[in-house]
Amino acid sequence: MHPALWISKTGLDAQQRDISVISNNLANASTVGFKKSRAVFEDLLYQNINQPGGRSSTDTELPNGLMLGAGTKVVATQKNFSQGNMLTTENPLDIMIQGHGFYEILQPDGTIAYTRNGQFTTNDTGQLVTSGAGFQLQPAITIPPDAQQVTVSQDGQVTVRLRGTADNVAVGQITVSNFINPAGLEPIGQNLFVETAVSGAPVQGTPGLEGLGTLVQGALETSNVNVTEELVNLIESQRVYEMNSKVISSVDQMLGTAIQQL
Amino acid sequence: MDRMLYIATSGATQNLNAISVRANNLANVKTNGFKADLEQARSMQAFGEGLPTRVFAMTESPSQNFDGGALMTTGRDLDIAVEGNGWIAVQDKQGNEAYTRKGNLQISATGMLETSDGLMVMGDGGPIQLPVPVEKVQIGRDGTITVKPQGAPPEALEDIDRIKLVDPDGPEITKGSDGLFRRKDGELAEASANVTLVKGALETSNVNAIEEMTSMIGLQRQFEMQVKMMKTAEENDQHHNQIFRIV
Repeated sequence: MHPALWISKTGLDAQQRDISVISNNLANASTVGFKKSRAVFEDLLYQNINQPGGRSSTDTELPNGLMLGAGTKVVATQKNFSQGNMLTTENPLDIMIQGHGFYEILQPDGTIAYTRNGQFTTNDTGQLVTSGAGFQLQPAITIPPDAQQVTVSQDGQVTVRLRGTADNVAVGQITVSNFINPAGLEPIGQNLFVETAVSGAPVQGTPGLEGLGTLVQGALETSNVNVTEELVNLIESQRVYEMNSKVISSVDQMLGTAIQQL
Repeated sequence: MDRMLYIATSGATQNLNAISVRANNLANVKTNGFKADLEQARSMQAFGEGLPTRVFAMTESPSQNFDGGALMTTGRDLDIAVEGNGWIAVQDKQGNEAYTRKGNLQISATGMLETSDGLMVMGDGGPIQLPVPVEKVQIGRDGTITVKPQGAPPEALEDIDRIKLVDPDGPEITKGSDGLFRRKDGELAEASANVTLVKGALETSNVNAIEEMTSMIGLQRQFEMQVKMMKTAEENDQHHNQIFRIV
């Protein structure tokens, strides 16, 4: 069949992917700690139909060739790790990272995942866990049952005031980890990311030191999705989709004309 | 058989090729840094015995449209766009230097500065490597890269390298089959100090969708005319047959 049909089909496919990425961003516009993605497009290989410089006769050369491109493709979805806005909640176990870094989360299979979502809660043994699936924060921090007040300092020190005492007791230290290439982390859902070969190894550290972000208690990082931007992208993708489908219908009409007339 | 039929057939085939070029441009309306392929028809005279009356058409893509695309601000530190003329030098998959306008860069796990499709960005002396882990990368208007290594005080910015930016003239440069640009004579382009970058922005595709759609309508109608000519050739043949029929 004619290449123009296939070329436009790659355009349709790519726009459809782009709309999926946009709709996922929009769906997560109020997910705490969510980082928006964008589709990265690339042109496909070119096919050389006429080589420039080929002979057009014994003593003349073709000054220009004909290269037919094969269309477009979504090669990657690139995560944008820019900081989301701060949403103050006054909940003592809502802890936001202001700056670079991820919390380490222990998954049920024993592997470590990373998250920017600082909505923690305690489980039945008093350990700090994620609010959704209840996965443990690493290194583990246990809040004693008779704790009256929990304080998290900027550098991750967790102290509690026990019932009947005036002094604060340290119960643990929250650490954060950073990556050379955070965009290379693999999102696995539940606001979690896992390390990959391209993200680099995690570098663990104390919040606020060595370029890592500081912790803010009683606040959450909102999603960094810009809804207006996504809607503009949606309009653009939809129109590009329509134009590519217009090419398909034009080629279809042309072939129809040829079949009917001849 | 009438030769007119063959000429019309070649015209129709070439129209379809031209539509493929247009379709590829339309498929890449959202590809950052994409340069639209131009398409034109050339008349190719067929010489032989008798009068040289037959002129076939041949579609060719003489060059690319080198106009700048619109700048789209993204606010990402590693998104750069070339302002005005100029190209960013990268290393292609064969290890040779090639040029692109695609500026969504990233840092690989080993600290190499690369494009979103994994091509390393060239500096003054080969691919650019950053001292990882970095906290902040700053790309200047002239391509100078300054980084703040993780944990360093704010004043300890390090100058690393400078992105090789080149500015060969439009006619000297052409698109290869991998979509990257190279000089036609195979030489490397000289680094130019006149090329400026915009940080936090990307250059969108320079395809003019309306123009592509309009020329597609033109090509479609032209194709239909070619088909009409083929039909006419067939009718002429039928009439010839009728004349010679013994009544």
